[in-house]
Amino acid sequence: MEGTQYMKIAVALIVLLPLAGFIITLLLGKRFFRAKAHILPVTVVTITAVLSIYAFEWVFRHPEEAFIWNAFTWVAAGRFTVEWGFLVDPLTGIMLLVVGIIGMLVHYYSIGYMKDDPGYYRFFAYLNLFMFAMFVLILANNYLLLFLGWEGVGLCSYLLISFWFRKKSASQAGKKAFLVNRVGDFGFTLGMFLIFVTTGTLQFTGVFDKAEMIGSGTLLWICLLLFTGAVGKSAQFPLHVWLPDAMEGPTPVSALIHAATMVNAGVYMVARSYPLFLHSDVAMLIVMIVGTFTAIYSAYIAITQNDIKKVIAYSTVSSLGFMFLALGAGAWAAGIFYLFAHGFFKGLLFLCSGSVIHAMSGEQDMRQMGGLRKKIPITFWTMLIGAIALIGVFPFAGFWAKDEILGGAFVGGYYVVWAVGIVTAFLTAVFAFRLIFMTFFGESRASEEVQHHIHESPKVMTIPLVLLAIPSALLGAVAGFPPEKGWIHTFLEPVFYDVEHEEFYWVGEGGGLMLFSVAVALLGVYVAYVLYIRRTEVPGRMAKRLPIAYKASLNKMYMDQVYEVVPIRSTLALASWLWTFFDVKIIDGAVNGLAWLWGWFGDKLRPIQTGHVQNYVMYVFGGMIVLVVVVSWVWGG
Amino acid sequence: MNALYWWLLLAFLLFCIGAFGVLARRNIILVVMSLEIMLNAVNIALVAIANFRGGARGAGTLFALFIIVLAAAEVTVGLAIVIANYRNRSTVQTDTYDELKG
Amino acid sequence: MPGGDFHPWFFVVVAAWVLVCALGVVLFKKIMYSAVSMVFCFLGVAFAYALLNAPLVAIIQILVYVGAISVVIIFAIMLTEVQHGGYELFFNRQTAVAAAAALIGAAVLAIVSLSADIGPIGDKSLTPGLRPLSKLIFDRYVLPFELVSLVLVAAMIGAIVLSTRERER
Repeated sequence: MEGTQYMKIAVALIVLLPLAGFIITLLLGKRFFRAKAHILPVTVVTITAVLSIYAFEWVFRHPEEAFIWNAFTWVAAGRFTVEWGFLVDPLTGIMLLVVGIIGMLVHYYSIGYMKDDPGYYRFFAYLNLFMFAMFVLILANNYLLLFLGWEGVGLCSYLLISFWFRKKSASQAGKKAFLVNRVGDFGFTLGMFLIFVTTGTLQFTGVFDKAEMIGSGTLLWICLLLFTGAVGKSAQFPLHVWLPDAMEGPTPVSALIHAATMVNAGVYMVARSYPLFLHSDVAMLIVMIVGTFTAIYSAYIAITQNDIKKVIAYSTVSSLGFMFLALGAGAWAAGIFYLFAHGFFKGLLFLCSGSVIHAMSGEQDMRQMGGLRKKIPITFWTMLIGAIALIGVFPFAGFWAKDEILGGAFVGGYYVVWAVGIVTAFLTAVFAFRLIFMTFFGESRASEEVQHHIHESPKVMTIPLVLLAIPSALLGAVAGFPPEKGWIHTFLEPVFYDVEHEEFYWVGEGGGLMLFSVAVALLGVYVAYVLYIRRTEVPGRMAKRLPIAYKASLNKMYMDQVYEVVPIRSTLALASWLWTFFDVKIIDGAVNGLAWLWGWFGDKLRPIQTGHVQNYVMYVFGGMIVLVVVVSWVWGG
Repeated sequence: MNALYWWLLLAFLLFCIGAFGVLARRNIILVVMSLEIMLNAVNIALVAIANFRGGARGAGTLFALFIIVLAAAEVTVGLAIVIANYRNRSTVQTDTYDELKG
Repeated sequence: MPGGDFHPWFFVVVAAWVLVCALGVVLFKKIMYSAVSMVFCFLGVAFAYALLNAPLVAIIQILVYVGAISVVIIFAIMLTEVQHGGYELFFNRQTAVAAAAALIGAAVLAIVSLSADIGPIGDKSLTPGLRPLSKLIFDRYVLPFELVSLVLVAAMIGAIVLSTRERER
């Protein structure tokens, strides 16, 4: 491979620079950098963005070969060896673009958003650490190194969600995220064990070469266990509960980690394991079902949420469900395409919401907002673009990707899935424009003082918004047109070999489905318009008429309560019982009993010490006689 | 049943008589005397064996001599201790010496 | 007669003498009787040494034991109290056990030694005479000899230290 020495340098720097940024900022930030603590991390992240583009360009020029580099051996334990090895292929290239660019924009945005926060240096240090872990995750060429990055981003998620750790709800949210993720990680680890036991290696190339030889039962288990990890990391049902709570963290964190990058790790991992899933139809079916269910489930919850960030959070869960739907239905490239676009517009939506919150002096409840359109125009227009991209209206990014997914499901014969997807798209349009209308239109419902302070965000925040709006608008057309034969499909072909490509007919099936989904989305917008601009009393009446439906949606379908009762209470009860019975009675009893036993022995033996030497001499004399007898007997006397 | 056996028997009997005295008498000086009896018993055994069986190039009787000398030293110091103790507590009853009890 | 040419009846007499005097030591109520008994016992033992062809040891026995140790003991008796009373004053509570132990001990030792093989005994006495003995003392065993004198010095000093009364200031 020619020109690889530059790639090696690029990859090494992409990984090491953020790590160095983290260490230096963490150690020196408090004393020396203080308010300027952003300079180093931002510089680092700008360089890595450039390098990511370079790496992507390299893959672009060499689409058939992947860059593989084993830097050095990490684990060498007999038959089990793992390298610090890197892989850059088209899939990695896409991920690098997403992570590198959006990561960089979020860092710049944070300069404005986190200004005057006492933990300023800590924030940027953690952001850099996150970039390090995420890059390791997507650049790894074996499951163990991927898992290192996986755990790393989980750690950073915890650190950043509970960034304002003095707030109880924030620290609890961080714990929740970590613990729920852990459940998924457990499955992932078991999957890795199973892979190693059946194939003897954890390197992607090694495992995938042997994929056909693995028995279907084992392969199903492997895929399902790996998918469990994805369910945790990408917040699918039932391990989705952490993501809405994660909104306790600062908005840049929500944008970066919970929209654009970390939650994509699950999708990426499943996509990377394509050769394994390819041979297991059952696994793919399960992936698709879970994704589909999650998509509509969380869309249903999103339509009643009043916190602006929670709406976008549930939207993310729904979008991720969509991605898994795609992967499970066999539309691999479409799923990755959607991931690509989603990173941009969802990140945009979060950052815009941060801008709104900033303008509203920290208020996040949409019921207190209204009429912001004229006052923060840049935020309004960029958010509008993001919303349109989300609901999938031609010609914005979301449209091309989402439509390809739904079309793929329909054509593949999964009509139920398609129907659910259409309903989800409708709900998505409703809640997305509910958000827009409640926030930006109508009369302001905020207090006098808050209204007085409403102002547009500083340039360092609005420029990233604009920069993100551009690809949200145009990416779809550029990368995915024409459907099924666009640039991105041919680009990803080396990765997703053997996928059937359906022919796309503009007139007839393909075109018809497209029109239908656009119509559904516009219907949703209209419904939202009616409910929230024209007749604003209707939603309230609907809530009263259908209390169960409303409450279920508002209370997140009571999932947290389910978790509380089923696993948590029973575990606590078990622990309590173990404590009172086992620990106190048996173990303490044994230990204390043993101590008491020695005391009892001592007490019984104490009378031997009479203090009279003649008694002791008697013992000696007696002992001597016994010795004589024994010795003479042993000597055969 | 040769002569050596008889001498050894004498020695053993003497030893056990002395042992009885050490174990059973209440006057500490009497205990010391019984101890001397036991030492003499041992000496008799030693000299008897030296006489009948030899060994150690004839150092058996020499060893007996050493024992006699050391017995003298031991009696001296021992009785000095007894007297000193008697001055403090005005008794020679062994039963009263029980500070190490417990 | 093996090991010398003394008549076995001498042995019986000496043995009886020693044993009876020893019993006297341990059994008399009056401690002075015990002391005198002890002196006679030592004399008997000296005779025993003589019978065993160890005249040097016999002489030393008389000089040291009878002449010195007995004297020391009698002095000690005179410096301490005299007790008058019944048997419980003179024999302690483990007397019965002690008697049993002594008897069993004697029996065990006797039986064990009887069943053991102690090898042949010849006609001649094997104790060295005076000349070879002194050669041993000053040649091979000169170190223990000197050490023993050291012990004697230490004992003397120790006894003196232990016996001095505390000076009144």
